[in-house]
Amino acid sequence: MKPAYDLGIVGGGVHGATVALFCARAGLKTVLFERGSLCREASGVNAGTLTMQMTRVALIPYALQAHAMWASAREWLGHDVGVVVCDGLSLAFTEREAELLTFRAGKRREAGAPISIISPSEAMAVEPGLSEKVLCAGHCKVDGYANAYLTGLAFRRALLEAGVDLREQTPVSGISREEQGFGVATAQETVPVKRLVLAGGVWLEDMMAWFGLHLPIKVLINQLAVTERIRPVMRTVVGIASGLLSLKQYPHGTVVIGGGWQGVGDRKRGGVELLPENLVGNMRLACHAIPALKEARLARAWAGLEAETRDALPAAGPIPGIPDAYICGSVHSGYTSGPYIAKLLADRILEREPIDPLFPIDRLLAPQDAAQATRPLSTHPELAGADETPHSL
Amino acid sequence: MTAQRMAGIGRGAPVSIVVDGSPVEAFGGESLAAALLAANIVQLRKSPREGGVRGAFCFMGVCQECAIIVDGTVQQACLVPVHDGMTVTLRGSV
Amino acid sequence: MALPLVLPFDLVVIGAGPAGGAAALAASEAGLRVVLIDESAAPGGQVYRAMPAGLSHSDGALGPDERAGQALREAIAASSVTWKGGARVWSISGRYRIDTASTAGCESFEAPRLVAATGAHERIVPFPGWTLPGVIGLAGATILMKSQGMVPGRRTLVAGCGPLLAAVAAKIIAGGGEVAAIVDLSSRADWLKALPGLASRPALLKQGINWFLAIGMARVPVLFRHTIVRAEGENAVASVTASPVDGNGRLSGGPERTFEVDSLAVGHGLVPGAEIPRLLRSKLAFSAASGGWIPVRDTFGRCSVEGLYAAGDGAEIAGALPAAITGRLAGLAAARDSGALDSARFEILSEVTLAAFRKTLAFSGAARDLMRPRPAMIEDIAPDTVVCRCEDIRRSEIEAAIAAGASEVNQLKHFSRCGMGPCQGRMCGDTVAGLVALHAGSREAAGYWTGRPPLRPVPLSMLLGEFDYSDIPVPEPAPL
Repeated sequence: MKPAYDLGIVGGGVHGATVALFCARAGLKTVLFERGSLCREASGVNAGTLTMQMTRVALIPYALQAHAMWASAREWLGHDVGVVVCDGLSLAFTEREAELLTFRAGKRREAGAPISIISPSEAMAVEPGLSEKVLCAGHCKVDGYANAYLTGLAFRRALLEAGVDLREQTPVSGISREEQGFGVATAQETVPVKRLVLAGGVWLEDMMAWFGLHLPIKVLINQLAVTERIRPVMRTVVGIASGLLSLKQYPHGTVVIGGGWQGVGDRKRGGVELLPENLVGNMRLACHAIPALKEARLARAWAGLEAETRDALPAAGPIPGIPDAYICGSVHSGYTSGPYIAKLLADRILEREPIDPLFPIDRLLAPQDAAQATRPLSTHPELAGADETPHSL
Repeated sequence: MTAQRMAGIGRGAPVSIVVDGSPVEAFGGESLAAALLAANIVQLRKSPREGGVRGAFCFMGVCQECAIIVDGTVQQACLVPVHDGMTVTLRGSV
Repeated sequence: MALPLVLPFDLVVIGAGPAGGAAALAASEAGLRVVLIDESAAPGGQVYRAMPAGLSHSDGALGPDERAGQALREAIAASSVTWKGGARVWSISGRYRIDTASTAGCESFEAPRLVAATGAHERIVPFPGWTLPGVIGLAGATILMKSQGMVPGRRTLVAGCGPLLAAVAAKIIAGGGEVAAIVDLSSRADWLKALPGLASRPALLKQGINWFLAIGMARVPVLFRHTIVRAEGENAVASVTASPVDGNGRLSGGPERTFEVDSLAVGHGLVPGAEIPRLLRSKLAFSAASGGWIPVRDTFGRCSVEGLYAAGDGAEIAGALPAAITGRLAGLAAARDSGALDSARFEILSEVTLAAFRKTLAFSGAARDLMRPRPAMIEDIAPDTVVCRCEDIRRSEIEAAIAAGASEVNQLKHFSRCGMGPCQGRMCGDTVAGLVALHAGSREAAGYWTGRPPLRPVPLSMLLGEFDYSDIPVPEPAPL
């Protein structure tokens, strides 16, 4: 069976869609399978925060590049995702938090994020809506947010313009190894593809099982809440030292409250239930930071699923032992950094040397799986350099 | 549109509420939405995107058209009984 | 301030209209500890809504609905049911924890079983000018009159379909107001066809005949097979124009008639709320005849999610009496499933109740037929008519989102913000799904809004109360 497509992608979130976009534009005949609609899971329901102050240190260089991508989405994506670039503040209300903040901001600064620690009065000048109870704040000019729910619309338009064969509402039931690539099994047909990218977010563990590989992926059930429209009460992205708050007011007036407070769910059922005490805790934190927020009404709350590998760093690179198969996802703060990491993988697939190293998954596989893995392309820099990526952070 | 109080209905004691700074008379027990309508105050808010004028619509707590600021919090006028001294701010476009 | 304690019960009933009230009473008579929660101050729901404290009929004369409501309130007061009025349910979690917010503070309740009896809301198919102040729901007009003792305007036009048209018009006349006209989607023939069914409940038929007599006496023009084509006015409705339609709700090209009014009461039937089954991901099915998406359930209201029961118009549009019966069935089933009723007793009680239910079917079938959705009304909504009132989303923007690939309503919401406002998609949901279905092929394919908490918007100040920073249980920091 001669492959009908140069590239097949399973999973239509930010990662899968970005890989598809760059590869299709480079001339690969690309098909993308999404069991639901494009960017309707984590990529469409996350808080949209594009911040350095919640990003893992190892990912700061990637997040900086990705921030620039989001800020110029109209240019490379061609469509608006409602990106607003603004200042970001990470707050400390206690001495302990001030210590944590100073330490963490220092580490992130070393990695390249332009974060400085500022006084309450300086913070108040940046964000007049701020509570007087702030002890100090981390301030970063490279911050902002997107309107996550517009992600699907923007990518959908871009992918269709790039000629991607977009197959929404098309679950993939398995992958077969073929002589010249892979067969992607759907309810309608098995689609032959030459190269394959698995980009299934929290469902990557199930997808890797198609190859008999066990890649443990933890599922975080992140609760989010949005208020109805209110008068302008803030103008920056606000978080706290521990990272358990993300807060911003959109231009139309709604305020999105996030920060990764956990709800109930799993990868089979999705986010099935919100825990009221965690919603209340999250919203109290939000109102403690921006007191005027108390005027608002809670309009809606929901949960988004975030994938996390054992070391909470991305799974992005070739799949060991399976030539022409790749994985992309589980990027901590994946919405922020996703487009850049996916673009690096696209470069790799297009046999261009990625500018920054990828995140090969050998480190995450069980020893027997890793041992089985032959390294067919060991000359590539991301494999050689794997140990130098700062995983230990 | 001015709602008309029906004859044959016993009403509570007269109360005075303040709507955007002006006094409005009503009767104890009446919902704020009904009291405003009886006072010929039909425009309660402006729609946020286009600034269109809006008034109470469903009177059963569903449509949110009558969500205005009552004693400092956003409340649905159709669900809130008036009380003497209640202060009401009609919402402009937000 | 610590979070409130969770109060344990055998059964939580949400919604204290005829269905929820009957469910709570039946279950508590069988020995269950029941808490009944409603956002109104007193039980009764919309149909039996109590006059608030302070208002009363001077002569003590009560209509049938007032009497039924009073009986329900007295029965609940005399029972062992714990009544929680004025409380807004904002969260349902676990199996089942219910969190409420009210001006008095927040409370939490827990029970292994939950009856959802949150009733219906009105279907109002958009037309130009429907967002003008002075345009109100038909059901809203009944509430103004029943519970506030006010007629909606000096001169009101009453429009839409179903028995409520006559009820509202007659009440306006009785209350001293003027009815400019009744604009009815149904034809005389539709009413004649409905007569045998309506006659199956003689008391209601008699009431209906009295309404029509009052309307006739007042020489109110009745425009059968007509619909509202537009409402106009500067800052409030000043005139309403009607035009003839066919049985499907499509304009037939006949002459328009314009009425000067200061009030328009309009309603095109009822839509089951079903918000709790939706939130809990219970199985739903689409049934146009039943009003829309309804929870799949057995004879007793047992839903596909264990421990959840649905009753009343929130489960399927049928009216007040059937709602009381399906509520009682759900209450009995909850008692049976808890082991409080043995099977013999359950059989006896439920058989009597089911027999009563069967007697209501002819009437509710006839009423439902008059209120049936007319699909052409949705198809013919003009491009620049606002469909989503909260977000000012017009038909043309919905069509643009569909053209951009929105294949079901939740994707449409992401593409357009339609349904994202504070009414949480209740006012536009049925219309939007109808519009998507025109492209998706069916209402099933168009889907329904995913259920999300809170059930209604809640002020944060009410929800969060007073608190210290040290009270917030901030989880461990994320990895660096």
